[in-house]
This record gives sequence, structure tokens and C-alpha cells, in this order.
Amino acid sequence: MARIEIDNLTKVYDSGDESIVAVEDLDLEVEDGEFLVLVGPSGCGKSTTLRCIAGLEDVTEGSLRFGERDVTALRGSERDVAMVFQNYALYPHMTVRENIGFGLKLSTKLTAAEISERVESVASMLGITDLLEDKPKELSGGQQQRVALGRAIVREPAVFLMDEPLSNLDAKLRAEMRTELQELQQDLDVTTVYVTHDQTEAMAMGDRVAVMNDGVLQQVGPPEGIYRQPVNEFVANFIGSPSINMLTAEIDGDSLTGPAGFSYRLSDTTSVKGHSRVRVGVRPEDITITDDGPNSATVSVVEPMGNENFCYMELGDHELTARIDPDLRPRAGETVRFTFDEEALYLFDADSGAALKTKSDAVAPGIETEVSS
Amino acid sequence: MSQETESTGNPIANPDPSVLDRLRFARQDVAAKLPPLRGQRIAYLLVSPFFVLFGLFLAFPVVYTLYLSFFEWQSVGQGNLFWIDFGPFHVTVPRIAELQFVGLSNYTRLLGDGLFWQSMFNTTYILLIQVPIMIGLALALAVALNASFVRFKGLFRTAIALPISANIVAYSTVFLLLFNEQFGFVNYLLSQVGVSPIAWLTSEFWARKTIIAAVTWRWIGYNMIILLAGLQNVPQQLYEAAEIDGAGRWEKFRYVTLPQLRPVLLFVVVLSTIGTFKLFAEPYVITGGGPTNATITIVQYIYRQAFVHWNLGYASALTVIFVALVSVISIAQIRIGGDD
Repeated sequence: MARIEIDNLTKVYDSGDESIVAVEDLDLEVEDGEFLVLVGPSGCGKSTTLRCIAGLEDVTEGSLRFGERDVTALRGSERDVAMVFQNYALYPHMTVRENIGFGLKLSTKLTAAEISERVESVASMLGITDLLEDKPKELSGGQQQRVALGRAIVREPAVFLMDEPLSNLDAKLRAEMRTELQELQQDLDVTTVYVTHDQTEAMAMGDRVAVMNDGVLQQVGPPEGIYRQPVNEFVANFIGSPSINMLTAEIDGDSLTGPAGFSYRLSDTTSVKGHSRVRVGVRPEDITITDDGPNSATVSVVEPMGNENFCYMELGDHELTARIDPDLRPRAGETVRFTFDEEALYLFDADSGAALKTKSDAVAPGIETEVSS
Repeated sequence: MSQETESTGNPIANPDPSVLDRLRFARQDVAAKLPPLRGQRIAYLLVSPFFVLFGLFLAFPVVYTLYLSFFEWQSVGQGNLFWIDFGPFHVTVPRIAELQFVGLSNYTRLLGDGLFWQSMFNTTYILLIQVPIMIGLALALAVALNASFVRFKGLFRTAIALPISANIVAYSTVFLLLFNEQFGFVNYLLSQVGVSPIAWLTSEFWARKTIIAAVTWRWIGYNMIILLAGLQNVPQQLYEAAEIDGAGRWEKFRYVTLPQLRPVLLFVVVLSTIGTFKLFAEPYVITGGGPTNATITIVQYIYRQAFVHWNLGYASALTVIFVALVSVISIAQIRIGGDD
């Protein structure tokens, strides 16, 4: 177990005359026993960061420390990390037992009997005792996933690294494994860095979430904080499903004027002082459809989810999404009026995308108690 | 051929119509006797060229060799085996050979034939040294060329694989010259570093090594290319998983590369074994089988029996035994090496 400290990590890929900056000047600390999720769109540098932590890539600049140890120059095999790969990377010619025990055989001085004992205890923890003598090709995706986890757990490493470990599973299994992984991580209390492109997974699993884009770390924090107080438009856009509604508005005194007749009167204008244009963001769940709303839009599609409806509307060229009650069913083509609270409003600088104002409404009941870490 | 063609008096462009008519009638006559070509029959007809050629030049000789091994060859065949009259023309099939049935005596003769056992020993000796050395070197070269830090890979790959394209007799002749004991380049080089000349072609020990060197030079690139293709198919993630598991260079090779390469290695081993068993041209050209039959190979001995001494029956028996032996060894290799 160890705390991970990443200082000014930069990774540049040089291919002849062209060089690509995959990760730029990244500073990040992961507390001992913490579950940190690195999230971002593909190509954002999250996997590269993970591979640098693993020692599978050399870092171009910066340093890496596990606890007191500086591991920057160490090979992956010397760093005492375990990793779960996206497609598991099980050794095809070895049985499950050999796969799980391989790391112990190479990097410890345990006897065959001791290795066998530890492999069996990990296998029973993961419920794969029956599969110990099988080869990977005889296993289902979910079972292979467990073996890959077993291979990581059995080593009792200082750091757990997971590179999109759930993305090859079907939706139902993925949700199951998500919970199981979290429980496992809590039981083992090993510092974990988990990479995913799926923001739902990030929100659900992480003690803290680190959002990356274009090789640059955008924001780190607990999921709720990132959702409610994004530092910029990118984070606001990336986190949350369905995505936040964004449009550009002109500021005239205390009123925001947007496309297709959109207007909103601010009661507090301190955040927009000195700006003539801003980007306005409203989360789908904060839009209320009501007859006396100040703005109107045309409904294009309603997706009934059972417990709620997603209502897609057109405001000029913009699409707006509202999460509404299941008993509200506006028809396609209908014009509806809507409103939202000023506390729920996000405002971003029109040029830099930096946040000017974020959600300041009271936390909805039930949400706060979930974030108990 | 059109009926309307008018005669212009040119006998080549417009031959005597009566000949054409006779040909046409004959053709119709044959066509009428043959069953109509429809459905599957036309399909069989269209694929028949392969089967005819295969039967004539591969299947028949194989079966005939087995047949011949129970006979003693007397002379070239006299008279015809049969002839078929097609009307306008006929086909005669001559007797292949005059044979005398000798039962199993070719096979019993083989048991007591010292030169056969000598050639068997030579071939096995060359095989046991040449195949492991060549595959080991080919694997080492393939691994080296597959390493990420090596530059000019394409150039090295081509250079090492180039000998495959060398004509066997031509390159054997080059080796003959290189290893010439008085004027050869190899002994010249050795003399420059103070080593006294080696009897590359006239010492039993060194003659075999010369053959081994030649064969290895010719085939190493071929095997390296196959192994390199195999190496490039090993998933990179397995190496990464092994790295994380604490494997060093050697452990990655031992636990990832070798098991992943196993089917390819087996292919290379079986192919090389068969290839070296069939060794003929190199000793024929370089050493002529000498000195004192120290490098005569099985195939060379078979050749000598068949086409020097004209013991075709005995040569056939040798061939049958040789094929059986190679088959047994190949099957054993596949059985042992193919288990997953």
C-alpha cells in the first residue's frame, strides 16, 4: 500500500520529425487506499498516464513516487504494481492456477505450496475455484475478468492499476462487476488508479475523479464536486448523462439573451461583471416544464425511461434536454414553456471556457448521504 | 469452320473441304458416343486437368514406386501394354519396364547393405547437428530483428533471407570454392590468423561440417522469416502483463515468446527435418558423397542405386523405407510438439 505522487509528468511520443504530447505537466496525488478514477474522452492521455505509473512507458519529464520510493527510473517489474488490462492479457498456454500464480513465482521466494495456498484463497474470494485447472480460452468474458483480477490481487501489490477493465463485458455484467470491484477495493484497501472513458463508471466508482482532456488534467475531486462545481465547460460537458445543455448568450445589464428568443433575468450579476458574452449551462434535471415559464421550445422526441422521461427539445438550432416526470408527456412538435432556477445555472467564459458560476442550489435530499467518503 | 467458305485455291487457308468434313463427322461420331455434358459432368470435365496431371505425374509414380520395390528391373519395356482406337487416331501405351518379381528380397537386401546404413548414419548425423543449430540461430536472428531498438530491420531481413533465392547447384559450387583446401577463401582467412589449413572436404569430420554450414547458410533466412512472422503475432499485452508480473527479458522469452511461438516452431522443425533428410544436391556437388562415403546421404544413395547402377527395384525399396521413416519422424514430432 502506498500513496502515489505524480509531479509534472510529461509524456511525449517522438516519431521521427513529429512529436505528440500525450500527457502534459500532470500533477496528481492519490492517497493511500484511495480509489481514483482517471476519466476522459479517448486520446485524452488517461491510459498513457496509467502506463507511465505502471512503468510500461518511460516518462519524458517529471517524477513518480510510491510512498517514499522514487519509482520514476524503475522498470515495471520492480515497481510492485499489479495491473488489469482491458482485454485481460491472460497467458493463453497457462491454466488459471498458473496464470494467477505466475507473478508470485517470478517475483517472490514463496514455495510452490505457499503460492498454491494463496492462489486458492484468492480464487475462493473471487468464486473461481472450479476454474483453476482450465485454460483461459475455456472461460467466458466475465470469468476471464475474474482471473485477471485474481492475478492482480494475489500479488498484494502497493498499487492497483486498471485500464478499462469492464469495457469488454456486457452491460448487466459490467454493473455487477462494478459493485464487486468497489467492495473488493474497500476490503483490500489498496491504492487504486482506474481508467475509464465512461463517466457513469467514474462517478459511480471513484472516491475521487480526475478528468483529463488533450493530455491535460482538468479537474480532480469527489464525483459530486466535479458534477456541481466543474472548473470549465469541458468538465461540465463531459460529466453528467444526459449532457448539460449549453448555449451562448449576450449580456445586457442583468439579462441574458440567447438564440431563438431565449432570455433569462439574473438577480445576481456579480459573476458576469465585465463580460459581454457567456456560455450558459443548465443540467437536464434542472429544467422544469411549466406553462408560466419564461422561455419556450419545440419538443422533438420524448424518451420514456419508466421512472423518468427525457424530453428533447429544439431551441432554434440548439437541442435542449430535460429530465421530466414520467407523467408529463408532451407530444413531438408541441411547443412547451420551461424554466429553471438561477441557483442551478452554470455560466462559463465564452472564450476560455472557465467557470464563472456553478450550481449553488441546496443539494437534493439523498445525494449528500451517498458521498460519505 | 464455316461451310460457306469459298475455295480460293490456297490449300493452307482453305484446306480440302473433304478433310474438314471427315474431321467434323468423326468429331460428331465421338460426341454421339460420349454421354451429354450437362450439370455435374461438365464440372468434372473442367476440373479434370488437375486430376489428370496429378495422377500422371504424382499419384502414379508414388504407387508405381511401391509396386516396383517388389521387382527387379530387367530392361526398358518391350511392346505395348494396351492401345485404344479412337477411329481417326489411336493411342498406344507402351510397357514401362520388363520386371521380374522378387518378393521382399529388395527389403531383406537393404538390411545387410552397409552403404545404406552408412548413408542413413550420415544423414542422421547431419540432421541432428544442422537442424538444431539452424533453428536456434534463426530464432535468435528473428528475436533480434523483432526487437524495437534494432535499426535497418528491412535491410537485415532481406540480406539474411537472400540465400533462399540462390540456385542450389550454384551456391554449392561457391561453397566448394570457398572451402577448397589449397586455394579456398576460408583457409586463406584462417591462415591470416595463424590457423593451419583445415581439410574441409577430405576429412570425414570436416566434410560433414562443410555440408552443415552450406545447408544452414541456404535455409536460415527462410526459417527466420517464418519465425519472425510468428513473433510479430505475439500480442504485445502479454509482454506487458509479464513485465508487471515481474518478468525479465529471459522470463518473457521463456514464458511468453516460446509458448506463443510453439506452433510456428513445430512447423519449422518438421519442415527443416524433412528438408535435411532429403539432402542431395549439396553433398553431390561439394563432396560427391566423400571422403570414403562420409557425406553420402540417403537420397544420394538412392540416386546412385537408381540411375548409376540401374537397380530401380532396389532403389524403390529404399525410397519406400525412406518415406516411411520421414513420415514416422514427422508424425512423432507433431504428436510430441503439438500438444497444447
